[in-house]
Amino acid sequence: MAIDRKKIIEEMSKVKVTGNEEGLIPAFNVFVQQLPADFWNAFSRRIVNYVPDDLVEAAEGLLFNAANECGYHTGYGIITSNEWKEVVGPMIEKMPEDVLHGAFAVFTAWGWAKSEVIEIVPDEKMVVRAYDYYESDVLRYGRTLRPCAYMIQGVSAAFMDLAYGKPYPDGLGTFHCVQTKGIEMGDDYGEFIVTRA
Amino acid sequence: MPVEKKIEFEIDHHFDPVKCRHYLNDTCTVLHCHHYMTLFHQLADDAKGFEGERFLKEAAEDTFYDVLKKYFELKGIIALEEMICLAEQYWSVVGMGLIRFISVGRYAVIAEMEYSHVDEGWLKKWGGREEPVNFITSGFVSASAALFNGRPAKTFQTKETKALVCGDETSLFKAVIN
Repeated sequence: MAIDRKKIIEEMSKVKVTGNEEGLIPAFNVFVQQLPADFWNAFSRRIVNYVPDDLVEAAEGLLFNAANECGYHTGYGIITSNEWKEVVGPMIEKMPEDVLHGAFAVFTAWGWAKSEVIEIVPDEKMVVRAYDYYESDVLRYGRTLRPCAYMIQGVSAAFMDLAYGKPYPDGLGTFHCVQTKGIEMGDDYGEFIVTRA
Repeated sequence: MPVEKKIEFEIDHHFDPVKCRHYLNDTCTVLHCHHYMTLFHQLADDAKGFEGERFLKEAAEDTFYDVLKKYFELKGIIALEEMICLAEQYWSVVGMGLIRFISVGRYAVIAEMEYSHVDEGWLKKWGGREEPVNFITSGFVSASAALFNGRPAKTFQTKETKALVCGDETSLFKAVIN
């Protein structure tokens, strides 16, 4: 059986989370929370818009790093979870490429970005496309001057770290990601190219 | 015998299969982990020269003011006790921890947290620290304080004076009117 993206999205999008008696949501070996997408955009844009031009890349790098670490640890939690083993596990034939396809189906199901892997060169390169993502909501008219899907950039690199980097938890930072297209820049979709760092 | 009305934050959750987005009471939401949350807070804390703490508090205040205001209007909530209870429940439902508003006045609001996503996450990731760092909850308390008093956002400023991450038994937030 190959990866059935539609089925994974159907099954994993049903995951409903709510705080326990302590108001916390421990899951996938992390604590999760379920906040409005606007909150994350509101902080990211305030920081990037406020810093002087010569520090924009540095600020973007910090936002990338936050997503990169999040994607690495939570991604590991996801692909070792019972939910993953039940839904995605039986579909995996080719390691680790099928894991990457499955991971982006989960990424989609959880509302991070409607995204899929369109190219993998094992151990070298991955190309991801995102057709809808909350980070592009920052724009109401026209286009941004720079791509701003830092979360997808960071998580895409992290998933490649998990697939081809040193065994967890020592592989973080093996790959990096460049966003070459963005809905926020007037393109039809976002495109993310992951290569070795 | 009067029947006590049970106040419960109602959750209407749905997934849009076309855009692949989740909505909680018609607000687009996203699941993130404590790594992402604490790294955002570290970024805000490090960006002292660029008002990182203020930006994170304001992003939270603007967002949660809108969320709670919309909910109160939709459900016709006007009683202070109900607003307080629902704000506390909202913070818990979305996984941010256990918050109690212990004093709500016209000029100051005090809230306490026994459990906190930010603090638990910070402790798990890096261990303790000397200064409080729960900026998102400070913004949430400012938003709640304004709504409890029928005032616009940015009416109150909140400071965290005790923190679980510092080894205190509870975190304490004090919002004061500008």
